[in-house]
Amino acid sequence: MAEKKSGWNFNYTTRDIVIIAVIAAITGVVNTGVGNLWYLANTSLGPLGGALLQGAFMWAYILAMWLIRKPGAALIVGIIEAVTEILLGNAAGIGTLGWGLTQGLAIEAVMAISNYQKFDMLTAILAGAAASQFGTLWTSIFYGWDPAYSKDVWMAVPINLISGAILSGLLGYLLAKAISRTGLIRSAGR
Amino acid sequence: MADNQEQQGLVYTNRNSLMNRLYPLVKLAWVFVIAIGLFIYKSPISGAVMFVSVLLLAMLAGKIPFRQILGSSKIILMLGILLMVFHFFADPGEPLLKLGPLTITDNGLYQGPIFFFRLSVVVLASFVLIWTTDTRDLMVSLTKVGVPYRGAFAVFLALRFLPLIQREVDAVRAAHSIRGKSTSSGLGHRFKLWQRYIFTILINGLRKAETTATSLECRAFGLYPTRTYVKDIHFNPWDLVLIVVTVVLSTGLIIIEKVI
Repeated sequence: MAEKKSGWNFNYTTRDIVIIAVIAAITGVVNTGVGNLWYLANTSLGPLGGALLQGAFMWAYILAMWLIRKPGAALIVGIIEAVTEILLGNAAGIGTLGWGLTQGLAIEAVMAISNYQKFDMLTAILAGAAASQFGTLWTSIFYGWDPAYSKDVWMAVPINLISGAILSGLLGYLLAKAISRTGLIRSAGR
Repeated sequence: MADNQEQQGLVYTNRNSLMNRLYPLVKLAWVFVIAIGLFIYKSPISGAVMFVSVLLLAMLAGKIPFRQILGSSKIILMLGILLMVFHFFADPGEPLLKLGPLTITDNGLYQGPIFFFRLSVVVLASFVLIWTTDTRDLMVSLTKVGVPYRGAFAVFLALRFLPLIQREVDAVRAAHSIRGKSTSSGLGHRFKLWQRYIFTILINGLRKAETTATSLECRAFGLYPTRTYVKDIHFNPWDLVLIVVTVVLSTGLIIIEKVI
């Protein structure tokens, strides 16, 4: 898998669209299950509990971005994945879209800074960490964690970043690399 | 069996109700209007009023049985209560009761129900949308307001793949069980098992994606700027009454909060 490829190419092929749909559907199923654990941790232990698992949701966004390598891939996966989660009965209902949007946008922001050219491990880790923290912004709004008086929101920041860097960034990167090596995706890295 | 699933689960059923007949995009916008209101309310009473309104709407205009609403909302209500209790202790204010190192505050007691209703009403409204809307109709209505049909198709395709993936998860789990990799083991082992499941499911899914993409390309998908649908849907301006009534109710609640 090539580490670099330039980038502001918005020409999504039919293959790209189908890959995004499949990844979003798989992630929707997985994240609905993980989400129930996260809700339990987040509502009973607060921001610190939620931060431990926060990073576990965005590996597929990174995977999609690294396989498709086009601006918007992570954001589109985020939105579609959120829609599938809503339909599967996610415990936040339409609020799930907030996470899809914020997390997807964070990855897009990191990739935009790299001009959609760098697809190495470091960029994936940074994108995962950013997505995790951006997702927590929405959590704070949705669950009413006010950083002005809740120390936990600030204490959760490093946990969020590490959780996102490892569980999403690193995992997503390694998965993309493994899948790319199998030669299954003809468009991967192109 | 299927009837029972429809009775209990979070699935669309055409009950020929008023909510069934509403334009899908109007219902989607209604959910957003409800959600925006809940983020503005400063009193738990406003949240409670919306909770009762959405519940009545689901039962009367949506013909959703109360048992089905309760069955689908159990987890949400439980999480909402946990969130409320967390706010009892976490929000600053005058201490009312000390339970060891934890203190319940007056502000916490007031804020807790606000967040309970915020979570539960947003989710209940989303459920009403799911129970009463065919996803295909929702996608068609989205394309009618300018969403590119390729984008809407991606959402529809993801939903089409959902049952296949759920079946695949069961098949992969069964295959691993046959080889002696039981799922009733410790947490660490289960985590490793899920790693294997996900990779297998991803590979199988992506293989299906490749063949699906080839089939679509063979049918010249994306050649024209617009596409046709087997079942078309039509907007009725009277459907907007739902949004107007909700906006009036929400605005009224916000004004009452300010006055009292």
